[in-house]
Amino acid sequence: MLEIKNVSKSYGTKTALSKVDLCLPRGEIVGLFGENGAGKTTLMKCILGFLRYQGEITLDGEPITRKNIARLSFATSEHSFFPGLTPRAHKEFYELHFPTFRQKRFNGLMDFFELPMNKALRHFSTGQKNQFEVILAMSQGADYILMDEPFAGNDVFNREDFYKVLLGILDPTETLLLSTHLLEEVEKFIGRAVLIRSGQLVGDVSMAELEESGKGLLGYVKETYRYKADRVSKALDDLTEQE
Amino acid sequence: MKIKMERLVPAGIDYKRELNWLRGGLIAAFIYSLGFFIRFMDRYGSLFRVLVGNKRVLNENAVMPDYVDVLGDAILLFLVLALVMVALMVYHYIYHFQGSKSIYLMRRLPDRWELWRRCLTLPVMGALTSLLAAAVIIIIYYGIYMLATPKACLSPGQWHKIWNVF
Repeated sequence: MLEIKNVSKSYGTKTALSKVDLCLPRGEIVGLFGENGAGKTTLMKCILGFLRYQGEITLDGEPITRKNIARLSFATSEHSFFPGLTPRAHKEFYELHFPTFRQKRFNGLMDFFELPMNKALRHFSTGQKNQFEVILAMSQGADYILMDEPFAGNDVFNREDFYKVLLGILDPTETLLLSTHLLEEVEKFIGRAVLIRSGQLVGDVSMAELEESGKGLLGYVKETYRYKADRVSKALDDLTEQE
Repeated sequence: MKIKMERLVPAGIDYKRELNWLRGGLIAAFIYSLGFFIRFMDRYGSLFRVLVGNKRVLNENAVMPDYVDVLGDAILLFLVLALVMVALMVYHYIYHFQGSKSIYLMRRLPDRWELWRRCLTLPVMGALTSLLAAAVIIIIYYGIYMLATPKACLSPGQWHKIWNVF
């Protein structure tokens, strides 16, 4: 279980995370939602130890150190691969550093997305780069897979393919924390939704609960965010008003 | 045991090209250091006067300038090369932010030293090789200076004067 207890993070005087408590058991697919700058990426970077923070983050009761860091993988829209290396070279690199690397899954996903094995990543399209970034995260052999806007730049068919493949290949013990703005697309694919706003956790609900209550994910998010539906029409009225 | 150099530089960096640059730098530094012989021959020649019949005799009270003065800036390029290696270390680190954020991968590897091993090994090896080459050149040129300079023209304490410079 990945436990985030009372985690706060500030950049100077700006609070990026404020007393966040979150528990991610094994085998869940969790959507992490929030507006730009809400703190989603900061939260993931704190989990991975890229940022110093106040509070406690543990993995099965142990702090996250080099001993257990391989149990976490990360895919980001910023990309964390080496642009000058080929997928084949990445595979060798991962095999060298991650003993649990899933070669079969890697090869299968590379075939499915028809990505070339011997072409340097810098020559890939943005969509292909995103696909490869996700493939690496999925193949590392981690128990917890963190994805931060991994499909930014992919077309809708490609994203659809990915959701289906992800659902099909994830083991029951693998946990996926997926940060995205594509609420409606992932609605049927996630089991739980976590909402973050201005660095604070403002919502945490299972999709089953949402279904029972008859609310859609978008409705829940709007409600939690106290979204003002008439905001746009008011603004347009103001802007188009005769002087 | 064969050392795999590609594992000692950031992944994707052409280590052969970097080694070639280092090799080229060392050769250039060595060629520059040969200026020592020009200065040495000049100072050495001024110890003598030429008599009729092209015979050379040592001037009375002639004193050879100190070794450190004759050495001059002969090892300058070796020191510059060592400083360039510091810049190479910085480049190796910054490389992980170019075109992607591969630093995220490097910082979450189970082996905590992997990033530093890849950023530092070649620059440190280069800097040490350069400084070692400079030290060897100082010693060899010192030997040449001591052997070729007439004993009567040598002022004492040459070796100490080198240390005083450092």
